Amino acid sequence: MIKYPRACVCGSVLMLFAAILCLAADGGLDPQVLLKPLGKDWPTYNGDYSGKRYSSLAQINQTNVRKLTLRWILQAQSVGIKSAPLMVDGRLYFTTPDNVWAADARTGEIIWHYYRESQGDHIGNRGVGMYHDWLYFETPDCHLICLNAKDGKVRWNIELADPKLGYFSTMAPLIIRDHVIVGVSGDVTDIPGFLESVRPEDGKVEWRWNTEPGVGEPGSETWPRSGDAILHGGGMTWMTGTYDPGLNQLYWGIGNPNPVLNGKIRPGENLYTCSIVSLNPDTGKLNWHFQVSPHDTHDWDATQTPVIFDDEYQGVHRKLLAQASRNGYFFVLDRTTGEHILTKPFIYTDWAKGIDSRGEPVPNPEKEPTPDGTLVSPGSDGATNWMAPSFDPETKLFYVSARRLWSIFYMTAEGKPEGWAGRDRNLWANSVVEAIDYQTGDIRWKHEIGDGEGSAGMLTTAGKLLFTADNSDNLLALDPATGETLWHVNLGGKMLGAPTTYELDGKQYLLTPTSNVILAWGLPEE
Amino acid sequence: MRLIFGLLVMAVWAAGQGHQATPLPRQQPTEDPAAVERGQALFKSSCGFCHGDDATGARAPDLLRSPVVLRDDGGNLLGPTIRNGRPDKGMPSFTTMKDDQIAAIVAFLHHQANLALHSNRVARDYPLARLLTGNAQAGKAYFDGAGGCSGCHSVTGDLAHIAKKYSPIELQQHMVYPSGNDVSKTATVTLKDGTEYRGKVVHQDEFNIGLMCDDGWYRSFRADEVKISEKDPLEAHRELMRKYTDADIHNLFAYLESLK
Ligand code: HEC
Ligand code: HEC
Repeated sequence: MIKYPRACVCGSVLMLFAAILCLAADGGLDPQVLLKPLGKDWPTYNGDYSGKRYSSLAQINQTNVRKLTLRWILQAQSVGIKSAPLMVDGRLYFTTPDNVWAADARTGEIIWHYYRESQGDHIGNRGVGMYHDWLYFETPDCHLICLNAKDGKVRWNIELADPKLGYFSTMAPLIIRDHVIVGVSGDVTDIPGFLESVRPEDGKVEWRWNTEPGVGEPGSETWPRSGDAILHGGGMTWMTGTYDPGLNQLYWGIGNPNPVLNGKIRPGENLYTCSIVSLNPDTGKLNWHFQVSPHDTHDWDATQTPVIFDDEYQGVHRKLLAQASRNGYFFVLDRTTGEHILTKPFIYTDWAKGIDSRGEPVPNPEKEPTPDGTLVSPGSDGATNWMAPSFDPETKLFYVSARRLWSIFYMTAEGKPEGWAGRDRNLWANSVVEAIDYQTGDIRWKHEIGDGEGSAGMLTTAGKLLFTADNSDNLLALDPATGETLWHVNLGGKMLGAPTTYELDGKQYLLTPTSNVILAWGLPEE
Repeated sequence: MRLIFGLLVMAVWAAGQGHQATPLPRQQPTEDPAAVERGQALFKSSCGFCHGDDATGARAPDLLRSPVVLRDDGGNLLGPTIRNGRPDKGMPSFTTMKDDQIAAIVAFLHHQANLALHSNRVARDYPLARLLTGNAQAGKAYFDGAGGCSGCHSVTGDLAHIAKKYSPIELQQHMVYPSGNDVSKTATVTLKDGTEYRGKVVHQDEFNIGLMCDDGWYRSFRADEVKISEKDPLEAHRELMRKYTDADIHNLFAYLESLK
C-alpha cells in the first residue's frame, strides 16, 4: 500500500456541518441514505438505486454550461478508468483493476492508494460499494476485499470463486441495507455464473443465486437433459444491478451462455442467461425473469443496466423497467411482475425471425455462427455494451450509446465445443447517441458520435443537460430534448466510464474519467 | 520493473480492446510437443474409452472442464488422481503407470485445455476448406448480376489474381468490407471566399474536419465555417451488407477464391 500525506483540508465550519448533515451518526455512508434519490453525493455505481443516472443538481445548466472550466486533474498512473468514482463526505473513491484510490473531491489530491497485484482478467473494474466506513472491491482474481474507507487498510479478503477455473470480477458491489451484493465474471472457460449476498462485517455468504437453475428445478427444461451443459452454462453477473426499495426487488442483467458462440451442445433457451431477473435481496429467491436473448450464440450478454422509473404508460401509472440491450433491442417491462410491455430494435438487426408472444426476440438459427461465416448485425461487441445509459424524468427519454456494427461470425470448434468455440471478426462500426421514447420505442433523436465503437456512458441533470463523449474524445453537453450540442471540449483521451456529478460547498462538480485521468469541471468562481 | 511494465501495457491494451484481448485465466506454459504427442497416444489407449479420445468426455466426465485439470500444476493433482483412481466411482486406478507416462498424459491434458481457452481465435491461416462451401458459378452470376459488383470491379482488372493477394479468410473479409485498405473518404471543403480544398479525410467529428490535401499539406477546418461535400468509396459495400444473404457471400467467395 502506498500512503500519501493527507491533503490539507481547510476546516471550514460550513463544510463540517454539511458533512454531518449527509452522514448517519456512525459515520461513512449509512445505507439509509441510498434509499433517497440522487442528491449532492454520488454514493453508488449508478449514483442511486434506479440506474437513471439523473442528477437533481442544476447549478450547471443550459444557460451557463458554455462557461465550464477545469477545477482539477487527477493522474492515476494506471490503465484506463472504467469505474464510477463514488463521492461521499467530500471524498472520491475510484478504481482500476487491482487499484483503489481515495481522493479529495475538492482538489483531486490522492489521499490513499491501495494496490494488490493479481492474476486473472484485467478487463476493467466498475468501482467500489460503500457501507458506513467500509469499502468493497472486487479483483481480477475474483476476490472480494473490504477496506477501511478512512485509510485504505484491508479489513478482510475472501475468494468469491476460483480464478484457476477462469473466474474474475469486474462489477462494483451494491449495498442494500445490510447486504453486500456481489457478482462474478468469466469468459473463455465454461463455468456457471452466480450472484451472492455477503455480510458487510465479515463477508460471510448469506445467499447465492445461481444463474442456471439446479437440475430438475424450473427453468432446467431449457437445457439439454443429458450431458453437463447446464453445469457449465456461463451467465456471468458482470455489471451492477438496480433496486426498488418499495417493492424490495433487486434487478440484474445476466450474461451470455457458454460455450459462447456455439449453441449446438446446449439446445434450448438456456435460462437464466441473457435475462433480466428480479430477486428478493434478503433471500436470493427469484421473483420473475424475462429473457432478452433466448439461446444466445453471439455473446450478447444482457448485463446492461436495467433502469427503473415510474410513469404513466398509456394512461395507467406503472412501475417500469427498461433496458437497451446488447442484442440491439430496447425492452420495457412492468417491474412488479416482469410483465412484458414493449420490444423494439434501436439499431438495425438481422438475427431474429420476429418477436414472440412473450415479447422475446426469436433467434433465426441461420444467423448462428458457422465454419464458413455468417454476417450479422450487431457484432459480438454489441449494439451497446457496458456504457451506462440514462433516463431523464423530465424529457421521459432513455439515452443510450448505440453502435451500428457488422461482423462475420465463425464457428471454430471441431468435436465438442468448449469455451468460445468460435469468434467474430468486426468489419465496420460507427456510433450514435440515441434518445428512445419508452412509450413507443421510437428514436426521438439521434446524435452521431463518429466511426468506431463508442465507449462513454451518459449522465443527465436537472440543469437540462446530457453529458457524454464522442469517438473523437470530445466531451459533449447536449440538450436532452433535442440532441443539439450546447458545449464541447476535447478531453485528449477516451472516456471509458461515464460522467458523474456532485455538489460540495455549494459548488457543482462534473467529473469526466478520461483514459487514466479524472478531470473535474465546474463554473468559474464569481 | 520490466515485467510490471509489460503487464501494464498488456492491461492497457486489454482495457481498450474489450473482449478481444482477454488474457488467459492462468498462464499455462506451452507444453513440449513431443510429450503432448506421447500423452495423446497413451490417453487414447488408457483413458479415451471413458473420457473420449480428445478428453472432452464420453462415459466419464469432460476433463477439459474438470477442476482437477484446471487447478493442476505440473501433475500435482492429476498424478495422484490417475494413480489412485476413484474405484468406488468408476475411475480405475493406474498403479503401474510410470512417472514419464503420467507426465505425458498431464502435458496432453493441459494442451487440450489450452486449445479450448484459445477457441476464440480465427487466425489468418483459417483453413480454406471451412470457407469454401459456396458455388463459384452462382457467385459469378451474382457478381455480374444482382450484386452489381461489376459496376465497380473487374475480375481481369482490379480483382485479377485477388486470391493470391489474401489468405482465404482475409479475402472473405475484404470482399465483404475492405476495411484496412487505403481507401479513405474524400471531401471538398469550400471556404466562405470560395476557395476549395480537396483531399483525404484524416479527421472528422462534428466540430472539425482534417484533410490530407491533394497538394500534400494537412489542413483542418471548423465544420461550421465551411461547406463540406464528402465522397465515401465504401458506401456501396456498407449498403451491400444489408442486401446479401450468407449464401451470396459464400458463393461470391468461392468465385473470387478461384481467381488465383
Ligand atoms: C473405466 C472408465 C475410466 C477410465 C478408463 C478412466 N477414467 Fe477417469 N474417470 C472415470 C469416471 C467415471 C470418473 C468420475 C469419477 C467421479 O465421479 O468422481 C473419472 C474421473 C477422472 C478425473 C477427475 C475428474 C474430476 O473433475 O473430478 C480425472 C482427472 C480422470 N478421471 C483422469 C483419467 C485419466 C488420465 C485416465 C487414463 C489414464 C482415466 N481417467 C481413465 C472413468 C474412467
Ligand atoms: C460502388 C462501387 C463498388 C461496388 C458496387 C462494389 N465494390 Fe468492392 N470495392 C469498392 C471499393 C472502392 C473498394 C476499395 C478499393 C480497393 O481496396 O482497391 C472495394 C474493394 C473490394 C474488394 C477488395 C479488393 C482488394 O484488393 O482488397 C473486393 C474483393 C470487393 N470490393 C468485392 C466486391 C464485390 C464482390 C462486390 C459486389 C457484391 C463489390 N465489391 C461491389 C467499390 C465497390
